[in-house]
Amino acid sequence: MSNILQEIEAQIAGVKTATAKQNVGIVREAGDGVARIEGLTDAMLNEMLDFGNGVMGIALNLEETEVGAIILGDFTSISEGHEVRTTGKVLQVPAGKALLGRVVDTLGRPLDGKGPIRNEAFYPVEKIAPGIIKRRSVNQPVQTGIMAIDAMIPIGRGQRELIIGDRSTGKTTLGIDTIISNAHLNKAAEAEGDRAYRPLYSIYVAVGQKQSNIARVISVLEEAGALPYTIIVVASASDSATNQYLAPFAGCAMGEWFMDNGMDALIIYDDLSKHAVAYRQVSLVLKRPSGREAYPGDVFYLHSRLLERAARLSDKEGNGSLTALPIIETQLGDVSAYIPTNVISITDGQIYLETDLFYQGVRPAISVGLSVSRVGSAAQIKAMKQVAGRIKGELAQFRELAAFAQFGSDLDAATQAKLERGKRIVEVFKQNQYNPIAVENQVVVLWSVQNGYMDDVPVEKVKDFQAKFVDALAMRKAELLARIVKEKALSDTSAADLKAAVTEFKQTYR
Amino acid sequence: MRISKQARRDAKVLFRACFVNDLLDHARVRDVVQKVVAAKPRGYIGILSHFERLVKLELDRRSARVESAVPLGADLQTGVRASLGRLYGPGLAFDFQQNAALIGGMRVKVGSDVYDGSIKARLNALVESF
Repeated sequence: MSNILQEIEAQIAGVKTATAKQNVGIVREAGDGVARIEGLTDAMLNEMLDFGNGVMGIALNLEETEVGAIILGDFTSISEGHEVRTTGKVLQVPAGKALLGRVVDTLGRPLDGKGPIRNEAFYPVEKIAPGIIKRRSVNQPVQTGIMAIDAMIPIGRGQRELIIGDRSTGKTTLGIDTIISNAHLNKAAEAEGDRAYRPLYSIYVAVGQKQSNIARVISVLEEAGALPYTIIVVASASDSATNQYLAPFAGCAMGEWFMDNGMDALIIYDDLSKHAVAYRQVSLVLKRPSGREAYPGDVFYLHSRLLERAARLSDKEGNGSLTALPIIETQLGDVSAYIPTNVISITDGQIYLETDLFYQGVRPAISVGLSVSRVGSAAQIKAMKQVAGRIKGELAQFRELAAFAQFGSDLDAATQAKLERGKRIVEVFKQNQYNPIAVENQVVVLWSVQNGYMDDVPVEKVKDFQAKFVDALAMRKAELLARIVKEKALSDTSAADLKAAVTEFKQTYR
Repeated sequence: MRISKQARRDAKVLFRACFVNDLLDHARVRDVVQKVVAAKPRGYIGILSHFERLVKLELDRRSARVESAVPLGADLQTGVRASLGRLYGPGLAFDFQQNAALIGGMRVKVGSDVYDGSIKARLNALVESF
């Protein structure tokens, strides 16, 4: 009993008795999640505003006679004449490892019914990106587990790689595969007690998506055991445009916590096309001047300031990183539309997914010609560099020759060989969804195809050969695979062992 | 009513012309309104509407509303006037009102600044702290 009394007394003592100055305003107009407020002469840009009854807002437009604010939460209770106060704070979201394995909304409130989140810190939603002095170049790989990406379009920790393509071409799947692959790697390193391995934590930000799709992503991650290493930030299609506009920034703040604390994180923005549409809606309701396709003038800055926050920090700054994989949905393959060109120019490369390839059965439907990673082989382990160096060129050559070969039947032997090799490379790169391939398996398969060991395997049996070969290696030559992982390179001894292994396997393969 | 940019600009110019020593001169305001009504320039309704809004905001900015649970004595009112005059400069329009809902203490609102020293505000703060 006395404890309760002491608590009450402490609370009473804690309440300020001095009269504090507050800055207030009156709502003049409210609707569609935004309010125009008269007064609030001391309001700052992006400052949180208190609408009372637990409803908060953010000041976005500071005009001569009024303030335009977006309302977070239930805006139906706000009407003309409502009193609004400044808080002197910017919007913050919870951050820390406690969020891993949780599904949260834009403000970091749990949506998964797993109880409250005991977060270590709060991070501001809007933050200036790390400057050039704090950064270092990208040189550590993000193993996506997707052979076509790891071999030809490598992604490094701290890079920003755009995933772009039409609807239903496997954009989200690429992101989910990457999360699953890294969760497997984290788990394996934990099991082995490998302290040198830097785990990669993932953040998946769903913007303007159907709730059913989000539920599917969550269940896939749960089934693959990747959820404990993942934070899911949800601003679904039924959320207000203001929440959809803020969700990527909230996810980014959660990722920055890992980066600033010397850890590595990966963030997937799914997708920024819908984010731009949400921002357009907010801007139009705030009566900001509109530009091309009715987007506001600062839609480029919206995405550039978000993606600039992905970085690889220097050793002095803790060596953390935040890798960003933004997703953009194109309409009928038009990559020259407004938002796609903006994001292409901001990111360090793009993975372009083609509808035609998808329906030809080439999945993931990565267009080798249009996809690029500006970081290049700096983000690959040496073993991968050794086997994948020429493969992108060979595949591009194959696509060109295949188009040319349609017009003539008489082809010289060299061209025929290139075409046959190309067909096998295409087959090797086909991969089932949610089925990431370990880097050592990628290396041995690519080495085999590069050195012509699959040239005599019929094209339709290449996948079968690949699967059985990898199984055989895992069972009989596990030491060789372990050596490749350990050395991160393909030494002469390993190459000789691999040659012996593939020759031996081919003798028994049916 | 939609007010054109030109009308807003014109209203702002007229509004600025109504200031004498950084204070809004009510006589000039009346004069401006009469002259605009008489001359009827293009978009004069919009000009006058925006002009009225600017005047209203300025009057709000320069008005001090003092609420107290019980009526304030003359000496206390003088003290409040002097204190606020020191903070916000001369020319404040004071409005002293009684508001029993405050329970005790005083609430002062000058423009968009609020100084709430009422018992009601402290009780509310206590409720929020729990």
